[in-house]
Amino acid sequence: MSELLVMRGIVKQFPGVRALDGVDLEVRAGEVHCLLGQNGAGKSTLIKILAGAHLPDEGTISLAGEEIRPAGPTDAIRLGISTIYQELDLVDGLSVAENIFLGHEKASLGFTRRGETNAAARDLLARLGHGEIRPTTEVGRLSPAGKQVVSMARALSHDARLIVMDEPSAALAHDEVANLFRIIRELTAQGVAVVYISHRLEEIREIGDRVTVLKDGRTAAVGLPARDTPTSTIVSLMTGRNVEYVFPPRPDRAEPGPEVLRVENLSVPGVFANVSFSVRAGEIVGLAGLVGSGRSEIIEAVYGARKASGRVLLDGRPVGAGTDRAVRLGMGLAPEERKAQALLLDESVARNITLAGLGRYSRFGWLDRRRELADARAQIEALDIRPGDPRRPIKTLSGGNQQKAVLARWLIDGGSSSSGAPLRLLLLDEPTRGVDVGARAELYAVIRRLADQGIGVLLVSSEVPEVLGLADRVLVIREGEVVHEAQAGELDEHRVLDLVMAAHPATQEKEDAGE
Amino acid sequence: MTTASTVKAADERVRSIGLVRRLLLKPELGAVIGAVVIFVFFSLLSEVFRSPSGVANWLDPAATIGIMAVPVALLMIGGHFDLSAGVAIGTAGITTTILTTQYNMVLWVAMAVSLLVCLGIGFLNGYLVVRTGLPSFIITLSTFLGLQGLNVGVTKLITDQVQVQGLADEPFYDGAHAVFAGTISIGGQDFQIAILWWILITALGSWVLLRTRFGNWVFAIGGDLGASRNVGVPAARTTITLFMAVSAAAWFVGNTQAIRLGSIQAVAGFGQELIFIVAAVIGGCLLTGGFGSVIGASVGALIFGMTSQGIVYAGWDSDWFKFFLGAMLLLAVLANRFVRRYAEESGK
Repeated sequence: MSELLVMRGIVKQFPGVRALDGVDLEVRAGEVHCLLGQNGAGKSTLIKILAGAHLPDEGTISLAGEEIRPAGPTDAIRLGISTIYQELDLVDGLSVAENIFLGHEKASLGFTRRGETNAAARDLLARLGHGEIRPTTEVGRLSPAGKQVVSMARALSHDARLIVMDEPSAALAHDEVANLFRIIRELTAQGVAVVYISHRLEEIREIGDRVTVLKDGRTAAVGLPARDTPTSTIVSLMTGRNVEYVFPPRPDRAEPGPEVLRVENLSVPGVFANVSFSVRAGEIVGLAGLVGSGRSEIIEAVYGARKASGRVLLDGRPVGAGTDRAVRLGMGLAPEERKAQALLLDESVARNITLAGLGRYSRFGWLDRRRELADARAQIEALDIRPGDPRRPIKTLSGGNQQKAVLARWLIDGGSSSSGAPLRLLLLDEPTRGVDVGARAELYAVIRRLADQGIGVLLVSSEVPEVLGLADRVLVIREGEVVHEAQAGELDEHRVLDLVMAAHPATQEKEDAGE
Repeated sequence: MTTASTVKAADERVRSIGLVRRLLLKPELGAVIGAVVIFVFFSLLSEVFRSPSGVANWLDPAATIGIMAVPVALLMIGGHFDLSAGVAIGTAGITTTILTTQYNMVLWVAMAVSLLVCLGIGFLNGYLVVRTGLPSFIITLSTFLGLQGLNVGVTKLITDQVQVQGLADEPFYDGAHAVFAGTISIGGQDFQIAILWWILITALGSWVLLRTRFGNWVFAIGGDLGASRNVGVPAARTTITLFMAVSAAAWFVGNTQAIRLGSIQAVAGFGQELIFIVAAVIGGCLLTGGFGSVIGASVGALIFGMTSQGIVYAGWDSDWFKFFLGAMLLLAVLANRFVRRYAEESGK
């Protein structure tokens, strides 16, 4: 078989981040080529370059021997590259047929030929084994699986030579995955190449021919046989790191603190189900899982920002819906989107630190600015926020220092919130996102210090080593369920990755025996 | 049991929708029902309202609003607003009138220049929105203020008045009058020709929206801009075209007004931009884009015309008109929302 697609030395730089740092990929006609890598390894940047959404800064791409440089989605499509994104690119208000042919409508003189469009859509849907989806149905009324089929039909409608599928099975039930595989096999039999991204190793073993592993923006391995490469090899290729993490030591506690948070049978239909756990005072509990596993949603539900069934108790008192009650009882959240959700970017560092407790500084409706500034200065010093000028706009600080300012909020007065209730539980969603590796160690130390003050911490992170190094106890989440719970010291990265990706039990045993 | 669950699963993927529910999901349904209710209401109050002369009377303002409401609705479905649509009417009429009466330009040529000016305004609006990514609300708010100032400023500078007169004395006026401001006699009753243009423009707009690829793109960019770009919809071109369609309609209405009266006020069109949006919303357009109907917007304009004249025929103080309009808008939006939610939920 000949190489259909060859990507060499692809580099893509974003402000502050080198997302791709010399990636190679070779895909043959008629094969299913799996792309593996942890969150942030560069998979999505790579496929966006293929789809024409980004231009690479360096490197070459050739398709069927000709060098190409797709400068936009239309370019890529014309070259025969179709991409099915995970967040399916469909317009809810248009019909199935209109969506399939959106952007390349069957039209003469600008007028759509409805009959022809609908008939062609019907043929494509039938070819995909879903003749029951009517071309005239509005896409917004389809189930996720139905939408997946429509996206697939759209890729087919382009006569693609290469189809990129980003986690196509994520929204599908088991029997529908089988149907997806049938379609993929039909496509490859016709010589179409498929780049398949999935976190489920058992799927890769079933449908994949070869595997390319990405790690930290580089190619860790090219063209491994998908069926015979041992899971341990794949996982160590994905995890082998050059970056050292420095975590603060876990304090030795003779007796565990009292229970701060108790979560019982928390469920949000379709997102996560029957999640139960507790967090003790002084304890850091980490949630490990893939993006989309439901971990961020669990935090939101605990905080009352998301409607859920089940019970959440803080110090034995029920927390209902609505974040104001959660705050009043003593919960604090450092959200995932720091810039959008946690900071007033144009305000000073001091104001951002004192924000949650402005009530403390007001007397007869006036703000006591001197006291506000003094408190902020104390925190800046304590956390070593740099530069140390409290009047500086916070947007001029680095990500790590911004995050420290967010945490400093909860440290003032032992973390009492505006209502006067002391902080009891801190929820951290991706606390080190966008933070330099060097600055992370300091953040870890701050988080540990917060815990040592007797606060319970619930931590979510995509980076497995971070969860393992920082947390005392770890819950592993897969597809909305807690699949494992253990002390952090009893787990390692391999084990957690195996759990979140649900390696096939049989393979698992074999390798355990081999090790 | 197994069979039942299989059937249910299949049903979930292809929710079949009944006729009634499908009808309820039509964006223009609420407006049509509202129009019928209002017609019956005023007909009961006043005989003149339902007489041919009465009908001709309320169809006239409906036509003027409707010609604008059609492209405004298209723009809203595409996810944008144009607050400058009202004052652009003034700009169009003033340009034509000043060029003819003050600079002796031939009327038809002046109208062509005026069209170019209007298309330029639309292009500028669209280009700025596309290039800056700022909300069209802000961009067109600045064009709105700018044009409003220009309309009055330039008019005063050239004529020392806040209006331009004397168009009726110009050559070719009669021909232009026949095209833009003439009347058609049906059964002895004269109807403004603008009504005919309104119907044609509604038909054209609806056809474009529902039957052309351009119409598909309008729904797509309003519904999900990112997705549309990813599949290769020329989003920038579509957006700019929509803004230019609005300003072209403003050219038509502005010239109609100037030609009908032979003169135009410097403040012509001011405040109308919201009326067009009201008509489109009553007609079922969502402020968020991606959903709506051209016919609905036209029916919204019809409701506007009927109410504005109906209040006069009913012998009420016309000061109450705006209050009615506000109440109707709220009612229409609530009804649309309720109907849509009901239809969607029972569809599940």
